[in-house]
Amino acid sequence: MIACILALAALPCLAQTPTVPAAAPAPSLAAPPPIPLNRGVILLDPAHGGVDSGSRITDSIAEKDVTLNLAFKLRSLLAARGFNVVMTHDSDAATEPNSPNPLTLDDRAGIANHAHPVACLLLHATAAGNGVHLYSSELSPTAGEPAANPWLTAQAPWVVQSQKLQKQLGAALTRANIPLVMSRASVRPVDSLTCPALVVELAPDGSDATSLADASYQQRVAEALAAALVFWKNQAQPPDRLPAAIPAAPATTPAATAGARP
Amino acid sequence: MISRHQRILFWVLIGCILAMAGLLFWERERARDRVSALADATPIDAPYTNTESITLDLANDSDGSITAVTRQIALPDEATARARALLEHLVAEYALPGSPHPLQSGAAIDDVFLLPLPINGHAIAASTNPTPTGATPTSPVADPNALQPQTPGGELAVIDLRSNFVNAHPSGVEVETLTLQSIIGTLHANLPQIEQVRFLVDGQPRETLAGHADLLRTYPSRDTTVPDVAP
Repeated sequence: MIACILALAALPCLAQTPTVPAAAPAPSLAAPPPIPLNRGVILLDPAHGGVDSGSRITDSIAEKDVTLNLAFKLRSLLAARGFNVVMTHDSDAATEPNSPNPLTLDDRAGIANHAHPVACLLLHATAAGNGVHLYSSELSPTAGEPAANPWLTAQAPWVVQSQKLQKQLGAALTRANIPLVMSRASVRPVDSLTCPALVVELAPDGSDATSLADASYQQRVAEALAAALVFWKNQAQPPDRLPAAIPAAPATTPAATAGARP
Repeated sequence: MISRHQRILFWVLIGCILAMAGLLFWERERARDRVSALADATPIDAPYTNTESITLDLANDSDGSITAVTRQIALPDEATARARALLEHLVAEYALPGSPHPLQSGAAIDDVFLLPLPINGHAIAASTNPTPTGATPTSPVADPNALQPQTPGGELAVIDLRSNFVNAHPSGVEVETLTLQSIIGTLHANLPQIEQVRFLVDGQPRETLAGHADLLRTYPSRDTTVPDVAP
């Protein structure tokens, strides 16, 4: 009787268990876990803030104000499309959480890496050129993420994904008739991000630098970016995590033995 | 009574003495100028050769492009002086009216150092004690992070920028990146032995050029006229 009850209780579990092909190899115990990627999360980093006002667009327009306004517009558009938007800071103060200390570039990268977002956009603004400038990291891409990923080159395994995201956003901006420049650049902290990451630099609409503060221009750019990120959500693929290298056993030498003695 | 021919002889002799004194004084001045010219070996100008054709990678802010242009200029023979003169010519182009990548005029490059690769680090030898003077002896070690050459004879160029130039540089990702790419591309086109480039400002490391482009990393020397990303 008890055996029958146990067998009946086990039936739903068996029904939910996915069928594993007989030929599939058993997972190795040493296989590293996959890299997490939250497909519903977008990170926005409005560059500068607080005492760091960034570049001086005009006498009355600072870069930090343009990037924060663009971030707010992008956040509301992305939230309307079902994304959870994480911002490194959402006020001009740009300080660490619960602290008066200013947010450093490494702090910003840390916030991004903890969120495991599907895309990280570092927002900048400039009076030079026109349209939107999209930059991916200048690091050489690597095949996978090593177990010990150096902080200053953490973006290297993600460069391929960042470049795919760059093309996708670039195509959306072109469709919106916004002049586009795509290239690669070393702008901290993009090289320390473990997510598809781009530097998005907003330049004037035409030759008038004051257009950077124009709400309708910012809205047009934000809508193009938000629309592209909806498609990107299901296309992003995290890189493979490379297995940890087994350290070689140190050779025992008389000198080493002598040095190990107390 | 002195005879007439004796008076004539006297004045002739006086004339000869004065002429001889003048000649001696003139020869002495010439000799002094000659000796002082030989003693002063301070170089005033770099030893320039005839003009030659060089390539400058010029940036354009409007489309974010780098274009190679040819100029005829005279350059010194020595490699570091040559690199410095090249970069000064490059920055001077950007200071011209109507430049597509306007930068402030004036001296931008303090110096350029060319260092042969690889560059090995120095470590404190574990088995050695400090010297009687208090200095800790160091020895060259095989540094796994040492900068390695791609080909034998490869060099690292360390460009020391002047703070006047950096402080007056326009701020922005594109404009700063284009300046660095222009410098790197120009060095690559004219001094192919340079494989890597680093930047200092007044002899000190600085985080960014004008708030954006990273100045702490080592840049590979490459042809920057080729677009990084296909449109």
